[in-house]
Amino acid sequence: MQDYIISMLVENQPGVLARIAGMFTRRDMNITSLTVSPCEKEGKSRMTLTFRGDERGLESTLKQLNRLIEVVKVRNLSFERAVYRDLCLVKVATADASVRQEVIGLAEAAGGKAVGVGVDHLILERVGSPTKIDNFISIFDKFEAEELVRSGVIALSFEDESDERK
Amino acid sequence: MKGKRGAEILVETLKKEGVTTIFGYPGGSVIELYDVLYDEPSINHVLVRHEQGAAHAADGYARASGKIGVCLATSGPGAMNLVTGLVTAAIDSSPVIALTGQVSTDMLGKDAFQEADTFNITMPFVKHNFLVKDVNQLDSTIKGAIQIASTRRKGVVLVDLPSNVLKERAVSSSTQVVRFEGYNPNVKANKFQIKRIAKALLEAERPLILVGGGVIASDASKELVALAELLGAGVVYTLMGKGSIPDTHPLCLGMTGMHGKISANKAITECDLLLAIGTRFSDRVTGWKLDRFAPNAYKIHVDIDSVEINKNLEVDLPMVGDARDVLKGLLIEVKKAIKDRKPKQWKNRIKEMHQVCNGCHEGESEEKIILPEKIIAELNRLLPRDAIVTTEVGQCQMFAAHFLKTYNPRTFLSSGGLGTMGFGFPAAIGAKVAKPDKPVVDIAGDGSFTMVSQELGTSVSNDIPVIVCIFNNGYLGMVRQWQELFYGKRYSHTRIGGPPNFVKLAEAYGARGIEVEKPNQVRDALKNGLESKQTTIIDFHIGGETNILPMIPPGGGIDEMIGVERCRTI
Repeated sequence: MQDYIISMLVENQPGVLARIAGMFTRRDMNITSLTVSPCEKEGKSRMTLTFRGDERGLESTLKQLNRLIEVVKVRNLSFERAVYRDLCLVKVATADASVRQEVIGLAEAAGGKAVGVGVDHLILERVGSPTKIDNFISIFDKFEAEELVRSGVIALSFEDESDERK
Repeated sequence: MKGKRGAEILVETLKKEGVTTIFGYPGGSVIELYDVLYDEPSINHVLVRHEQGAAHAADGYARASGKIGVCLATSGPGAMNLVTGLVTAAIDSSPVIALTGQVSTDMLGKDAFQEADTFNITMPFVKHNFLVKDVNQLDSTIKGAIQIASTRRKGVVLVDLPSNVLKERAVSSSTQVVRFEGYNPNVKANKFQIKRIAKALLEAERPLILVGGGVIASDASKELVALAELLGAGVVYTLMGKGSIPDTHPLCLGMTGMHGKISANKAITECDLLLAIGTRFSDRVTGWKLDRFAPNAYKIHVDIDSVEINKNLEVDLPMVGDARDVLKGLLIEVKKAIKDRKPKQWKNRIKEMHQVCNGCHEGESEEKIILPEKIIAELNRLLPRDAIVTTEVGQCQMFAAHFLKTYNPRTFLSSGGLGTMGFGFPAAIGAKVAKPDKPVVDIAGDGSFTMVSQELGTSVSNDIPVIVCIFNNGYLGMVRQWQELFYGKRYSHTRIGGPPNFVKLAEAYGARGIEVEKPNQVRDALKNGLESKQTTIIDFHIGGETNILPMIPPGGGIDEMIGVERCRTI
């Protein structure tokens, strides 16, 4: 089993997400992360999706997704030269002033920063590749991470998309 | 379309796209549409008695004619009753358009009267579906739906129609060509791949072609038979492929798989090359041990849908393409290179297997009880070659698949993938509407027929005469057979004998009923039914514990059939 990352260009209309999600549900597969937003093409959205599976699962997933009418393009980014970004927000309890200083210092040293300050909390942010985010989160294990949220991966390939046909 | 009501636009577009028949059932949300159909002379609306019947009838119409079948139901329960029939059509790649009423757009999601989330409920199995919210897009949506349903791998497209959309008038007239960026209706066969397949075919000593429903869907029977003859290749088919080659053709070895003929399953085991076209290697075809399926063969898989490649069976040489294009290409390539190379030994082997299995149970009956295979043998003698036979599901279906001689594509219609009891009778009605000049016979079981017997009303009142041959054993026969063979004869809840009296049931609907209790009455009853211009039920009292054998037992491989004792050795 391995993690795969897929990028899709889809029609921006109701039902598209349900169709794609249903494709995974029916095959007893779990989507690990998913991001959707409108993109540079009018009326279309770009979707980045990650899931765990084996090679045969990947092959059939790509074909199943491609078969959906509202999916315009499917691209397997798992092995391509691409930029991957994930974002996390972590809320850490810092009632103690010394802890607060330590957390801010650690966050900055680890490539993140404090973006929200409460009376007894800090909210930290880190943007980076999924592995960097994993590391960042593990650093704050010893503090009380009260809440944690990740955006899910987005990715853009260096390769040209235009010559790809469905 | 400017200024017209949604319902008018819908009917106009269907007409322009060549739709002449709709199988439907009215309801609150589609009253507007029915109002337009009221005085529409060029669309024949067939009023069914249950929406499931409408879906099966549209499916039967599509399978018999090759054209799209259209069914129509109201929102909520109407749409939900269509679902079984639509899944049946979808899994067998039958081009069906379903039009469903829906509550008005301002009531969507409010649990309004007769509201069901048809769009989401049907999403997993349709090829595509639409929820039309703007009357100005109705015309292009219907055109798009028909394009999607009838191109590439054919399938079901559902269009959900909120009641206000059917009432509102269009302000713009959209007549532009419909194009979906994510859908290419054409599939191009790769010439290089065709050459590779042709080369492999020419090198094989024991070539075998496995034919699925895709060959019938793409009208490629002629090309198939020509290629088989050119190569001296045997042909076996799946349930969905029955009719692609005449059963009497000397190269035809019958249906393969779990309830396949010994000749077909042996050929799969013995061949050194297997060319599978338009089939998805379902578990009912391969048996449960994939390593025992054609173990000695170089496997080639041609299918129009790339999803099917390596889904169930990994092959040596896959190719995406339309069956007819590929077969045509193969014919050209093989003709170019072929010398007199037909392998004699294999040719003789095919001949031997064909003769032994094809003549099975052809003789006169000396049994005291009516055997299903004898009824079918009589049908073989009495039916014209272009007659259409539909089946229900279970033992009756497998008896038909085994023993019925089918000569032409689109004349054997059966629920293959879903195995839907109750398919055969409404599908027969649909087929008869598509082909009114051909006799249409439903080979049924008492269990299956009872599931849809209300469609007698459809058949009689719309004057669509079909013949239903009920193989009445008082059991849910296939499950009973499994209980006998694999569960120590514990016939748990499979005894359904007793009511109804099928003759009286037929008569209650104004149809004819004939009861047949003795083997010597079979022929006359069938003759009688076929000569009549009336819907006829023939109730054959067959033996209660008759089995359809041989079969691959659950968990077994294709070469591990049981119940071969009655078969002649090949």
